[in-house]
Amino acid sequence: QNQIGQADISMSRKYDRRTTTFTPEGRLMQIEYALEFINKRVPTVGILTKDGVILGAQKQQKSKLLEVEKHSEKMYAIDDHIVLSASGFTSDANILIDYARKAGQEHYLTFKEPLPVEQLVQLLCDRKHYYTQFGSSRPIGVSFFYAGYDRYLGFQLYCSDPSGNYSGWKAHCIGSNNVNGKSMLKDEYKEDMNLEEGTKLTLKVLCKTLDTTNPKAEEFEIVRLTLDEGIPKISTLDEKEVKDYLEKA
Amino acid sequence: RVAMSIMQYNGSAVLAMKGKNCVGIASDLCFGVQGRMITTNFRKTFRMQEKLYLGLTGLATDVQTLHERLEFRLNMYKLREGREIKPSTFASVISNVLYAHRFGPYFVEPVVAGLDDTNTPFICGMDLIGAPVTPPDFVCAGSNTEALFGTCETMYRPDMEPEELFEVLSQCLLASIDRDALAGWGAVVTIITPEGSFTRTLKGRQD
Repeated sequence: QNQIGQADISMSRKYDRRTTTFTPEGRLMQIEYALEFINKRVPTVGILTKDGVILGAQKQQKSKLLEVEKHSEKMYAIDDHIVLSASGFTSDANILIDYARKAGQEHYLTFKEPLPVEQLVQLLCDRKHYYTQFGSSRPIGVSFFYAGYDRYLGFQLYCSDPSGNYSGWKAHCIGSNNVNGKSMLKDEYKEDMNLEEGTKLTLKVLCKTLDTTNPKAEEFEIVRLTLDEGIPKISTLDEKEVKDYLEKA
Repeated sequence: RVAMSIMQYNGSAVLAMKGKNCVGIASDLCFGVQGRMITTNFRKTFRMQEKLYLGLTGLATDVQTLHERLEFRLNMYKLREGREIKPSTFASVISNVLYAHRFGPYFVEPVVAGLDDTNTPFICGMDLIGAPVTPPDFVCAGSNTEALFGTCETMYRPDMEPEELFEVLSQCLLASIDRDALAGWGAVVTIITPEGSFTRTLKGRQD
């Protein structure tokens, strides 16, 4: 419930200066404000299918003067078997991404086995949670989508927010207009979808949540985690492939 | 029981050579403890990237651990930079890691062999505390480097084609490890070319 009543506003504002204080209604306002920030960000969609996980986001239109970036600002490979999409402060995300990558390698160094996906989710969530309970730091203003594969639970999709809470999802949507996105997913997602259908649905939902009515292929960034002869593979759709899916969607 | 240098506790031999637009790296296959053979499938060369191989001689436990730690560093590099590492850069990373343990070193002597992003051959050898050397011809490491240097100096010539390089590399290594009581039991040879690489296992004297 994001509705704040008139009486509540003045009450809540007294208790929202620090992360470490509850309001009388039992809310942590700093975390809620961080969530509000992410709700205004670019829409991101995650869909779990039986032969892969798809993450899709809008590539934000920026100034023509900006240098073409070599790496994506939203999608980050953590290891060969996990890819994250970050929504929120890119600077906050960068620190956590580096931490996640190191955690992945440290796990492999000790156990000679890829870091199980949910363990990575918990590591990042524990970090995010720390800033909601201690000290005078603000919460980390990032929500992540985690797409991963491990031999214990197969393909998985998780989403975490600045509070440090996370859930496993079959299909989910965050960012601006996520309400529309979520209702479309509820109607059209089917558990036995394959990768093709999932990719089409991802683009369909992204088109719905975007403000423009005329979607162009270069506005979207789609990343897929699949198995290639038993080995996890992360691939990004190129512009032509996105265009093909847009026509089919 | 024999008193031995720690670098000779497990025997080993690694050799790398430059050819014409290609490099080769080879090692013996013996894993032994003070002369007593335990297994005969212990490679000392490791594929780090498609065109980058690492050879490690010395104490076997450090060979394994250093390989794992360097793989860690290499994976972090690839994730952060979004590209593969150049052989010369990788050699600098190894040198850095080894010197960081200057007063409690890893008992290894690494060898790096690869082609950089312009497919230029690169080889490099190092001592256990990271002093690198990049000769124009070949690099030797192991429990009997005198024998390795001897055969290489005699049989090496520059600008060898891949198959020729394979032949010379194999013969130099096999001849040297026959003179070494601690190394041997076969060899594994990898040749890296711009089109790809191939690895062959050799059967030598089984003693």
